[in-house]
Amino acid sequence: LSWKIVMTSSVLHTTGIPTRRPAVPRSLIGVGMLVPSLSFLLVFLVVPSLILLGYSVLTQSQSGDISLPLTLSSYQRLVFSPAYRRVVVITLRVAFLTSLFASLLAYPLAMVIAYGRPLVSRITMILVVLPLVVSVVVRTYGWQLLLGNSNSGVLNWVLHALGTGPAPVQVMYTEWAIVIASVHVFLPLMVLPLAASLGRINPYLNEAARMLGASAWRAFLRVTLPLSVPGLLAGLTIVFSLTAASYVTPQMVGGSRGLMLGVLLEQQINTSFDWPMAAAIATVMVAIALGATVGVEWFVGRRAAARRRRSGAR
Amino acid sequence: MMAGRLSGSGGLFTHGLAMAGLVFILSPLVVVVALSFSEANIATFPPVGFTTSWYQGVVADDEFQQAFLTSAVLALAATVTSFVIGLPAAYALNRRRMPGARAIEAVLLSPFILPILITGLALLQFMAMLRMRDALTNLLIGHVLITLPYLVRTVTASLKQVDRSLEEAALTLGASPWRVFWRVTAPQITPGIAAGCLFAFMVSFDDFPISFWLSNAERMPLPIYLQNSMSKVFDPSIATMSSFAIATGILAVIGLEKLVGLRRAMSI
Repeated sequence: LSWKIVMTSSVLHTTGIPTRRPAVPRSLIGVGMLVPSLSFLLVFLVVPSLILLGYSVLTQSQSGDISLPLTLSSYQRLVFSPAYRRVVVITLRVAFLTSLFASLLAYPLAMVIAYGRPLVSRITMILVVLPLVVSVVVRTYGWQLLLGNSNSGVLNWVLHALGTGPAPVQVMYTEWAIVIASVHVFLPLMVLPLAASLGRINPYLNEAARMLGASAWRAFLRVTLPLSVPGLLAGLTIVFSLTAASYVTPQMVGGSRGLMLGVLLEQQINTSFDWPMAAAIATVMVAIALGATVGVEWFVGRRAAARRRRSGAR
Repeated sequence: MMAGRLSGSGGLFTHGLAMAGLVFILSPLVVVVALSFSEANIATFPPVGFTTSWYQGVVADDEFQQAFLTSAVLALAATVTSFVIGLPAAYALNRRRMPGARAIEAVLLSPFILPILITGLALLQFMAMLRMRDALTNLLIGHVLITLPYLVRTVTASLKQVDRSLEEAALTLGASPWRVFWRVTAPQITPGIAAGCLFAFMVSFDDFPISFWLSNAERMPLPIYLQNSMSKVFDPSIATMSSFAIATGILAVIGLEKLVGLRRAMSI
């Protein structure tokens, strides 16, 4: 479209209608508009991040100075020490379970938002978005109250009132507590791309499947579900990356049994004062976040290529 | 008909599951608000009786006021700064032919990909290297890092919805690009950008992982203050302060719905 503008203005030039000629070349103005934000990010995000990641291969002396020689010892400890490796495994497991359960819970909500009657859809949308603008600290506090291991925890109180005996659920300060609270924290980020994806599906496809005799469940499995995969993958990527990188929720409900990378990183800085180790943990966290994004993009690209091959063969 | 797509027993089943999902979404918020009215001296379930005395106490609490104010001022300053530097960048990327526009856009959105906890830690270390000790400045820089990508994304989305033929018509009729922006583009993108600013404000207002590294005892944003108090205070005043944060969130959602509708604000 900008090409059209160029075309029209060059036509104007040749026909002799006067147009304003800018004093500064237009491309320079464009660059000027980008300079403030790009330089801000360069100075306060790119450079600091590279310095931090660089720390992960440096050595910290007894006095706390960080300098050469280069070493991989922090990474070696992270991979080969069972205690640290356990944290990596817990982090990946919690992130995986959170994205799995979030997607299961998100489908019905996204379908009501995409296909429900206007009022129902609107109310559902409002209630799904609301937690997104409430601080994670507040929401996790809510889960602390809900999941408390004694009878004063809401869940145990309810179960006790139903007659199951004293405090049957001991979920607080375990990996499961982190999964439950993290599903809550990141659920909107799964529902939103999913609802967008569902909304883009041609409604006649589902209707055709039903008219040809498919049950509602089968039509969902064979038509709606496959066509919503782009939204699902977007949601899974976001939820997986953010859970793996989270700090507040595992810190507040995870305890020592649910130690995740974010909490370990904070301990390295504030308790052990071990910057190279913290930097190595940070690098692994960035690698997990990037790995999830790149991995899903690769998968999507491969699927698209396979589809092109199939349609080309026809 | 679209509405027919969730009819019959399948539709009922879907609505039932969605309902269960909404109960899950609301329960931690409802529990917090319920306990804020409890007469008991510790915040445990079930709440006892009904009192607003915790609210009176919290409203009069200097530290809480200070934290709330710090968060609000910080969020406002971060949003305004992101707007001032983000709007021209998004405009240039979408309305001028730029070599490497996609790469530049990726850089502008990169704070989304980097875990925020690490962005904050990297900035803390960098500011220590530069001997920048002023917590408020450091917090502001950190919060601009997390709000800027939201602004860039919202402005980009709003610009893509603008009717380009109107801009072209104004240009061919001899209006300068500056005039075209103010008279044709700006009125069309204002509601979308206002919604984006409101969301960015809340992102900053609710932030924990950036403030966690960069705040100090004098400059403590609300989420940090809340988390600090949770380990020291066990009475329902924590639930009361949390209820104020929830109320702010409710106001923000109403604002987003009124400005452009939540669907557009969340780009569905």
